[in-house]
Amino acid sequence: MNDEFLEIKDLKKSFGSGEARQDVLRGMNFSVKKGEFCVLLGPSGSGKSTLLNIIGGIDTPDEGFVSINGDKLEEMNEKQLTLYRRKHLGYVFQMYNLIPNLNVKENIEVGAYLSDLPLDVEEVISTLGLQDHKYKYPSQLSGGQQQRVSIGRAVVKNPDILMCDEPTGALDYKTSKEILALIEDCNRKFGSTVIMVTHNEAIKYMADHVIKLRDGVVRHNDINEKKISAFELEW
Amino acid sequence: MRNPLIKRVPRELRSDWHKYLVIIVFMVLMIGVISGMYVGHDSMLAAINNGREELNLEDGSFELKSKATKELLEGITSGEKADVRTYYINKGTEEADKEVAEAIEDELNEQVTKAIEDNVRAICEAYGITDEETIKTQIDTAMEDSFEDALKEARKSEEFKTAVEDAYKEAHEKVVEAVDEEWDEAVKKYDLDDPDFKAQPITIYENFFHEEAEDNNNDGKKDATVRIFSKDAEIDMASFNEGRAPEKDNEIAIDRMHADNVKVKIGDTITIGGKKYEVVGLLSYVNYLTLHESNTDLMFDAFGFDVAMVTSEAFDKLTSRIHYSYGFKYANKPNGKVETADYSSNTLKALITQTLVNDNEIEDYLPEYLRQASNFAPSDIEGDSTGTAILCYILIGVIAFIFAITISNTIDKEASVIGTLRASGYSKGEMIVHYMSMPIIVTILGAVIGNVLGYTAFKDLAVSLYYNSYSLPTCHAVWSNTAIVKTTVIPLVLMFFINLFVIVKKLQLSPLRFLRHDLGRKKRAKAMRLPKWSFLRRFRLRIFFQNIPNYLVLAVGVILIELMMCFAFGLPDSLNHYAKNAPDMMFAQYQYMLMDSKDDDGEVIKTTEDTAEKFCATELMYPKEKSTFRDGMGSGGDEGVTVYGIEEGSSYITIGDKKGNYISTAFSKKFNLSAGDTITLNAEYENKSYDFTVDGIVDYEGGIALFMDDDSYRQIFDIKEDEFTGYFSRNEIKDIDDKYIATVITTEDILKVTNQLMHSMGSLVDVFKYALIVLAAALIYLLAKIIIEKNEHSISMVKILGFKNGEIGALYIIPTAFVVLIFSIISFVIGYYLMVWIFHIFMLKMDGYFAFYMKPESMALSVIYLLIGYALVSIVDFIRIRRIPMDVALKNME
Repeated sequence: MNDEFLEIKDLKKSFGSGEARQDVLRGMNFSVKKGEFCVLLGPSGSGKSTLLNIIGGIDTPDEGFVSINGDKLEEMNEKQLTLYRRKHLGYVFQMYNLIPNLNVKENIEVGAYLSDLPLDVEEVISTLGLQDHKYKYPSQLSGGQQQRVSIGRAVVKNPDILMCDEPTGALDYKTSKEILALIEDCNRKFGSTVIMVTHNEAIKYMADHVIKLRDGVVRHNDINEKKISAFELEW
Repeated sequence: MRNPLIKRVPRELRSDWHKYLVIIVFMVLMIGVISGMYVGHDSMLAAINNGREELNLEDGSFELKSKATKELLEGITSGEKADVRTYYINKGTEEADKEVAEAIEDELNEQVTKAIEDNVRAICEAYGITDEETIKTQIDTAMEDSFEDALKEARKSEEFKTAVEDAYKEAHEKVVEAVDEEWDEAVKKYDLDDPDFKAQPITIYENFFHEEAEDNNNDGKKDATVRIFSKDAEIDMASFNEGRAPEKDNEIAIDRMHADNVKVKIGDTITIGGKKYEVVGLLSYVNYLTLHESNTDLMFDAFGFDVAMVTSEAFDKLTSRIHYSYGFKYANKPNGKVETADYSSNTLKALITQTLVNDNEIEDYLPEYLRQASNFAPSDIEGDSTGTAILCYILIGVIAFIFAITISNTIDKEASVIGTLRASGYSKGEMIVHYMSMPIIVTILGAVIGNVLGYTAFKDLAVSLYYNSYSLPTCHAVWSNTAIVKTTVIPLVLMFFINLFVIVKKLQLSPLRFLRHDLGRKKRAKAMRLPKWSFLRRFRLRIFFQNIPNYLVLAVGVILIELMMCFAFGLPDSLNHYAKNAPDMMFAQYQYMLMDSKDDDGEVIKTTEDTAEKFCATELMYPKEKSTFRDGMGSGGDEGVTVYGIEEGSSYITIGDKKGNYISTAFSKKFNLSAGDTITLNAEYENKSYDFTVDGIVDYEGGIALFMDDDSYRQIFDIKEDEFTGYFSRNEIKDIDDKYIATVITTEDILKVTNQLMHSMGSLVDVFKYALIVLAAALIYLLAKIIIEKNEHSISMVKILGFKNGEIGALYIIPTAFVVLIFSIISFVIGYYLMVWIFHIFMLKMDGYFAFYMKPESMALSVIYLLIGYALVSIVDFIRIRRIPMDVALKNME
């Protein structure tokens, strides 16, 4: 196993031009090991979502590179990037973005379809605690349930990396903890590397690796030796 | 694993069934009606063409004064010309010999009598007998005793023999001289010496008929002329639309169209030639698809003329004069128009000569290709699809537009889902396929249902329109390539590419932009400062500015609606306008086309009518672009051009005293020709072409014509000084025998043609009109629905803020209503000019020309209908606004 599964090197990104130019990432360097639960922590505007999007291959850096398992994303064309996302990534967003006219099971199948080695859909549904809801449409579910489905859609692909962009941002305390536990569970059970963007400081305690961002640079890059389970988190 | 996204398609169809129902109904109606028109059209032509084979349509027919002998039939069958000269010489010689023999006998008798008398008188004188009585007695005795011997003696003399020989010789020479003189004239007249003559063997069939008076309501008065054929005819047979062939002597089958017109049904009794018959069948004779009594009739007459069938026994019992008509078929099929014309002219030569040598007379000769009764309907049907084609293309455009906006709207709505799927690894191709599946499935669904209806209900509708006009055989739906291409392949291809274009363009954006709902091309400019109006007014204005892209789509939709309205109102208006103005378009109230410029005695046909003016004319063909799917007259075939040779200083056509070629305004407009252009016109049945340089345009909208001075005409077409085609006249010409007049074109005849056009297209036009009004309403409904859908989130938000439904309605409906109002007028102008252009393009495919026209009230109605339609849709919109739940703004939004 390559220790440095994900490598971020001198990553820079800015938006706008002239006076309106805003440097979002100003030379970012860090690496993540395979199977790690990594939390990108920082306040609004710190560049964490931009960083996640670049790692996810849906945005491009101005300088520097992202390398996954030795493959540099910048060297990939659009087709290869799509294939990269398809084969290696699972995405969970703050908004669930479920397909309204597909039921729970079918929304999860949307992810399974993309993978060569998908997990068993029923098993994922069961892990997510959605057995009773699998034939319901998203509009019939609560926010937390919808986010579970969204996680299911991402993990069913059996991705190498599970990208989570503020997955609990729209959820209440209790549901947030449930969702975090699920992600933790998936990380443990299916062995996916998890990169989670959050501004919730408390979440860092459940991570293996905590990267704190501020003003587009890495302020802290810590390995958490004493991680606790999601249910033990308090905020 | 099958892509689970495909499961969305049926659910989306179910959940948004209003919208898709409208689209599918729209497509089904469009494809159904148009497919029905084409299928009906093609089925009818197929039925006609099959009938030509199955019912043994003639290649031509002729009528003789008396029944043809076996020898005459054999002669005509051979196709060879008879040796008329030898026949005449033999016949002349025979008569001359008889006359000479009689003359010789008389002369001999006289001379012998005189010789005997002279001899007796001389003897009496020698004996001194002077008494005349005695002399006469002696003469009588001598006559009795020696007349015969003297006669014998005289015949033996050399002098007599020489005289007889000379007399016969002289007589024979005179016969040959006379025959040659006559023969030369006949050869010239019928071109009997044609070096290209080639005998065309034919098969001849008896097709005798009687013409009787028909009294179809048994009131003792003649209602029509009926031409009765025997059931056992083997050529030009009939098919039965209803009922059966007659089996008893008192049974009759009559033409279906005529029966329809005079309200005669199966089982009715009609009186023919004073005898009562029961109608047992309604038929269509293959050579009487239109009831042209005479081939020179400009228009058929399905009221005053009828064709009928009786049993051969009943036929023999008819007392009126029998017409010895024969149909014939060529042993070898001619290839193309020119060869058909050659065959016919060769057959005519054989017929003329063979009839002469067999002591019969030709009453009538007509090759089938010139037979109006069998060619008028098919050529008219062939040109009939113009309206359908225009409509087809307009509607395909409308449907493609609807889909493009629907898809674009769906993609906007599902931006975050698309972003997530793309971020998860769905490729652009997969997304394109997914979004393409709905329009393609809907189009296929519409096409399948539409075609099923097209081949059933709508076909019958189309066919019934043809049955209203012509005596056509029963037809069965045939597979129509034109229908499938125009109503299914083209819409599918168009739908495919338009949607592909829209979807590909939309999905070009990165997943991130979809996730951020950043779908605009340009970044939003700074908010415009508004004057200090009331809040609601400013709010409304903001909504207006915000929805400008949606209103642009609405505007395009309104243009399409107005285009449909212009078609719906403009087509009948154009037909009516043409019908109304056609009489004014005639440059002469009467146009007499003569059979020949000379009468039977070889004298030039003259008239005492003061306003009559001679003219020369011929019909040539102007080549035009061929239609892709179908060929033949009236659908991309060549355009007939009447070329006139006009007398100098004509009071009918003003080309001045200038030499040159002047085309009619209709010709100029139709083919966009102007002075200086060169046109090539071809003879239809000969391999001849003529080039003309256009020198000017004559104001004549009534037809496609070329005018030139008489001298140039005669020079170009090699016409002699005393030959001409007919007379223009302001008054009826009464002093020319009808038998010399081929056709008279009067204003009434032009009206007949336009009335017929109205009759055959009338109900079709109404179908189009109402279908288009429904479709226009459906389109405005869809467009308005899309605007509300796009604003659903904002509407929900203002509801949360506490705005009342009435206020929201005013905020969102008034700007749209304002846009509809403004664009209804602008779009009408655009739609009108588009229609003028489209109409012109399609006129090119038809024979003749008339421009698109709309009455002012129709123009107003086109706009008013749209506004009424929108007013109704606004009510639906208001209901829709009331139903938008408040949680739309709260759920599923970043």
